[in-house]
Amino acid sequence: MNHHRFILHLNVADFAVAVERVVDLSLRQKPVIVAPLQAARAAVYDMSEEAYRDGVRKGMLLNRATRICRAARVLAPRFDLYRKAMASFVNEARSYSPVLEYGAEDGHLYLDITGTHRLFGTPPDVGWRLHRQIRSKLEIDPIWSLAGSKLVSKIGSRLVKPVGEYIVANGDEQRFLAPLPLHLLPGLKGFERQRLSEFNIVRIGELAALTRMQLHGVFGRRGETLFELSRGIDDGAVRPEEAQPPRVVREHIFSNDCADRTVLKGVVTALAAQLGMELRLTRMAARRVGLQLDYTDGATISRQASVRKGTADDDCLQRLALTALERALTRRTRVRSCCLIGDRLHPRSPQLHLFSDSTSGQKKEHLLAAMDRIRQRFGREAIRLGSQPVLP
Amino acid sequence: MVPLRVRSCFSLLRGTASPASLCRRAARFGYTGLALTDLENLYGLWSFLAACEQENIRPIIGTEIETGTAGRLVLLVRNETGYRNLCNIISRRKGKESLSVTSESAPLFEGLVLLSRSEATLKVCRELELEAAADLGNRPTEKGSRLRRLAADLEIPAVPVPDSDLGEPGERSLHLLLRAIAASETLDFALRGARDEVHWLHSPEVYTNRFSVWPEVGRASDEIAERCSFGRPSAGLLMPPWQNHGRQAAGVVLRQQAYEGARQRYGGTLPVPVVDRLDYELGIIEAMGFSSYFLVVRDIVQPLQPDGTRKSRRICGRGSGAASLVAYCLNITNVCPIRYNLYFERFLNPGRSDPPDIDVDFAWDERDQVLAEVLGFFGERAAMVCNHVCFKPRGAIRETAKAFGLPGYEISRMTKRLPWFFKRSDLSLQEQISTLPTLKDQDFSGPWAEIIERASGLIGLPRYLSVHPGGVVITEGPVRDYVPVEQAPKGVPIIQWEKDGAEESGLVKIDLLGNRSLGVIRDAIGNLRTNGADFSEQGWHPEDDLQTKAAVGAGRTMGCFYIESPAMRLLQKKAGSGDFEQLVIQSSIIRPAANEFVREYVRRLHGGRWEPLHPALEEVLDETFGLMVYQEDVSKVAVALAGFSHSEADGLRKVLSKKDRELRLRDYRDKFYRGCRDNDIEPSEIERIWAMMMSFDGYSFCKPHSASYARVSFQSAYLKTHFPAEFMAAVISNQGGYYSTFSYVSEAKRMGLVIDPPDVQVSELSWRGKGARIRVGLQALHGVSQEARERILSCRSKQPFRSFSDFLQRVQPAENEIQVFIDSGAMDGLDRRGNRSRLFWEAAAREVKTGPGGGGLFPAVEAGSPPLKEQAPIERLRREYRALGFLCRTHPVNLIGKGGVHTCKGVELANHVGRQVNFIGLLLSGKIVSTKTGEAMEFLTFEDATAIIETTFFPEVYRRYAHLLSAQKAYLLRGLVEEDFGALTLTVERVKLLSNTSELHSTAG
Repeated sequence: MNHHRFILHLNVADFAVAVERVVDLSLRQKPVIVAPLQAARAAVYDMSEEAYRDGVRKGMLLNRATRICRAARVLAPRFDLYRKAMASFVNEARSYSPVLEYGAEDGHLYLDITGTHRLFGTPPDVGWRLHRQIRSKLEIDPIWSLAGSKLVSKIGSRLVKPVGEYIVANGDEQRFLAPLPLHLLPGLKGFERQRLSEFNIVRIGELAALTRMQLHGVFGRRGETLFELSRGIDDGAVRPEEAQPPRVVREHIFSNDCADRTVLKGVVTALAAQLGMELRLTRMAARRVGLQLDYTDGATISRQASVRKGTADDDCLQRLALTALERALTRRTRVRSCCLIGDRLHPRSPQLHLFSDSTSGQKKEHLLAAMDRIRQRFGREAIRLGSQPVLP
Repeated sequence: MVPLRVRSCFSLLRGTASPASLCRRAARFGYTGLALTDLENLYGLWSFLAACEQENIRPIIGTEIETGTAGRLVLLVRNETGYRNLCNIISRRKGKESLSVTSESAPLFEGLVLLSRSEATLKVCRELELEAAADLGNRPTEKGSRLRRLAADLEIPAVPVPDSDLGEPGERSLHLLLRAIAASETLDFALRGARDEVHWLHSPEVYTNRFSVWPEVGRASDEIAERCSFGRPSAGLLMPPWQNHGRQAAGVVLRQQAYEGARQRYGGTLPVPVVDRLDYELGIIEAMGFSSYFLVVRDIVQPLQPDGTRKSRRICGRGSGAASLVAYCLNITNVCPIRYNLYFERFLNPGRSDPPDIDVDFAWDERDQVLAEVLGFFGERAAMVCNHVCFKPRGAIRETAKAFGLPGYEISRMTKRLPWFFKRSDLSLQEQISTLPTLKDQDFSGPWAEIIERASGLIGLPRYLSVHPGGVVITEGPVRDYVPVEQAPKGVPIIQWEKDGAEESGLVKIDLLGNRSLGVIRDAIGNLRTNGADFSEQGWHPEDDLQTKAAVGAGRTMGCFYIESPAMRLLQKKAGSGDFEQLVIQSSIIRPAANEFVREYVRRLHGGRWEPLHPALEEVLDETFGLMVYQEDVSKVAVALAGFSHSEADGLRKVLSKKDRELRLRDYRDKFYRGCRDNDIEPSEIERIWAMMMSFDGYSFCKPHSASYARVSFQSAYLKTHFPAEFMAAVISNQGGYYSTFSYVSEAKRMGLVIDPPDVQVSELSWRGKGARIRVGLQALHGVSQEARERILSCRSKQPFRSFSDFLQRVQPAENEIQVFIDSGAMDGLDRRGNRSRLFWEAAAREVKTGPGGGGLFPAVEAGSPPLKEQAPIERLRREYRALGFLCRTHPVNLIGKGGVHTCKGVELANHVGRQVNFIGLLLSGKIVSTKTGEAMEFLTFEDATAIIETTFFPEVYRRYAHLLSAQKAYLLRGLVEEDFGALTLTVERVKLLSNTSELHSTAG
């Protein structure tokens, strides 16, 4: 059913830099690095194409990056700005289709525009128009590509990075893919790439020349996936956010990576308080708290702690978060960022307890509610526990 | 009072102060005595005793042991029995034996004073009438109060103790860092863990004030100190005992065996000089009581076999022992001391009070067997000497950075480029590091400044024990009666002292060391014999072979024992003689502080005029052109000019090689100056001669050692000259030479040998040479397990492999091993189609079929392999390099484009002397030296396919490019070709890193 679908993939290369360049025109055509300032061990959050060409990479220590690319302008990240920009970017796209999928502030967006031609014209026209619209309204210049599947449209975008567009006609996928080098094909695992290079298979077309049976013979069950990937077959649907399980996420990136457990505990406690407030405002309760620690050397460790009955209580959330932290802190390397996720959400019951066992419980709820009100009015950091650090 | 519980830095990764600094502090505070009680060890005993003597305070030897439920127990030595018991207790604790005070274990605690905080232990001690005291800690507490009452009831003393880990309060952060390192944790862990307080050594007033409520306790500690009157363990020289089977005296047996050996060495009728020398030596050996020592060493080197014959081993005597004719006749050494005029007094002289040591080299892979035999034969009466491994700058920075949570790659980026040691100690670590050219582009921001600062506190602190490369002590009774013994991780028993401590205590050490080149010579000759050649070592005199001498004189000695380093090869080229006698001089004269003497030696060798240092030295230094070359020249000069006795002169020589020699050296210096003045020598002359003597610091050889080594050098050079394929194969197989396998392969190719890739059908485990070809051994395949290699040989011996799938079926290699087999070319012999891609396909298909999930109910239908392209030539080479670490048929430099620059091949440099050239070469190795003004410069060795080229990077150029240089990468060099006595060097001015090879390497991982 491939030929019935039209998937548009939009990608703003180096999103944070692109947004900064909208705000400050003098940054255009110059190497730009986005990283926390005034921190000795800051890591690169994003960089422009010019800086990338000089060898700067995400996560690299800023000191090293500025030595590699001396001409670069370094800017402090403004996450709120990027969030807003991402929201506007998504909004522009939303006017063409309700079925869209996007990540956090990374400038990636899939749009399923199948069946919208009566409303908006042919799919390529939608691409051109949306592109023009975003460029004139937001002043950023996304890559876009159009194809019958997420897979092929993504490859199209990779092909034209950092600017441009690519349209792959339905039914033309194999011919489009055949001459491309294998590394452009998403979804291959490391050992599969290695094995293919051992077979001296370097282009997607050479992989597509293998029969299903042959692929099964050397890749086992994964052979089927390789068979489809190499032919551009991808039935994966664009998953709108409503279709994803609800969760609450709060993240903190250390400007100087952190080796001190006391500091880490403070940050995690503060994130748990933010999580609690968000849950109470939306009248939800979480049954699980997950913590993802990103270590400085690129390793990531995720651990969870859960309770049987959902909670939105700060104390309980903090206990869960700290348990998850204890479980995740298995290495002696510095931590670059931590992300706290509350999921397995369910609505809080508005019903009061029939046999309320303690007045202290109610008192605490009142206290939290009062604190929430103060924060709503005067800002997130207006009131907090003494042990919690101020988070930006 | 006397501090009775003090820990030094020998309480590893816990204490911070050296015994010397503790003693200084104690003396400053006016303490009359000090007890050193490190945790279950006596590692620091000898430095503690020396420091006590220096500071004039009374040492009390002790330790702290864990007793499980009763907590830590402090043991202080009262007398000889106590010391023996202490050594045994520590040895048992190190063997993980649990110990507590019971009626059964009571005899073990005799001669000791026990300090305990456990009420139960104190009561038991009282019942068993062991001498004990209550340990009140370093301030009065409620528990202390209870203990004091109990002590009064039991009528035993109660004493305050410092219980300290630090010397001074400022060492607290160092202590926390050590704790974090010990626990492999970050610093904040140590902070969290440091709930119980850390103490340091206070002045007596502090303790008196604290304990003013219990005034009697200070006196009690004095009384205990008084009772611990055992000063130091001393049992005289502890010679290894010789088993006297024939009930004859050792001296008689030695004389008999020496003469017997002499007759074998020199033929039936012994020449007069031999008889005279033998008698002279035997007289001294007998008089000094060393006869049994010689016999024990002989029994180790050539053990008696059940049939009564002696097992013969390939050995090389080293050190001063090679000066002994008796040793030569016993086959403990291999160079005739009479022919080469070796100075026996250097080894033994009647005035010497310290034991001589006979050191013997064995082939590196046979050494462990020898050790195992010795340790097995003598049982608990033998143990190895240990090394106290201390933090050096590199390790200190690495460990500190880890405790700061920095990721490994960031740490390596920094520490990899640190040289191994620093010479200039007047600068702080931070200053030294920030001026290092190799770290020019290093980022020192963030935590690095603090890391380096804190790491500098670690440098010099002991970290762990390792096994001395070959030192063995053998005693009359169990070794643990003399010194605590523990098990090293590799499973051998080691004593808790280093060689200097062992020597001070009177233990005589025998060095049994491993030597790669003995293995090389053995294997090369073995290879020759399997090739059918008839090679006999009887009457083999390689030093008289003209071709060998020519090769040595031309510096064609890469791979030859001891004379293959760039500096050595250049020196041989400059000397140009290839004489054995000159080689003996050359292998001694090359030492770090003697560069100017090397130049002078070459000049004089080629007929340059020279005057003796002093007329009195004309005879003494004649054979070395008036230069001091050997260690014993120092002694000879001191005897001739300053009237030193033989033993005094020997003492001076020994002091020169010690680490902390300043103080003792001053006395010798004064005496030398005085003696010279008495002999009417001009002050400026004395100055000059003394300076020359000082160039022997740290690292130098005696003539017997050099001669003994030069013989092995000549044997290797002979084999290289006449049997190049067999020799180079043996060099590579034995590994561990000065250069990498890659460099030896290049050398073999330059010698005109053909390197055949590994082949599972014909390759042996090791490399084999025959005629003009060398076959790569299976050992060269990176990442292939020893088991897999052996499986190949055993399967092949039953039946040759019929096909690739037959190989997979029978050998069952792991997936990563298959990759190496294919990439290295080892499978090409089984692949008729010559297509490695297809081999990979076949292997993958087989793995899926036999792997997990492959044996399903309906096995996958086998699909034929598709037509796959053969790998591109460059990809093949890249893979071959990754699998082997070298290329069999070509040199990586040949694959690099010149980029339009006119370059010179290595072999053509000789035509460009005095001119600027461009040269593309691969960096092999380098040696950093310091100029007279203290600047760093480097001598680097590069090679291309045609030659190996020595280069000089003067300080300015070195500073500019040091951070770019790393081994096995290719560079475009521009510089001046220079010649000195026929030896070519390139003085580099510009360097460019060529990226093509780094790409080859990045894929090679």
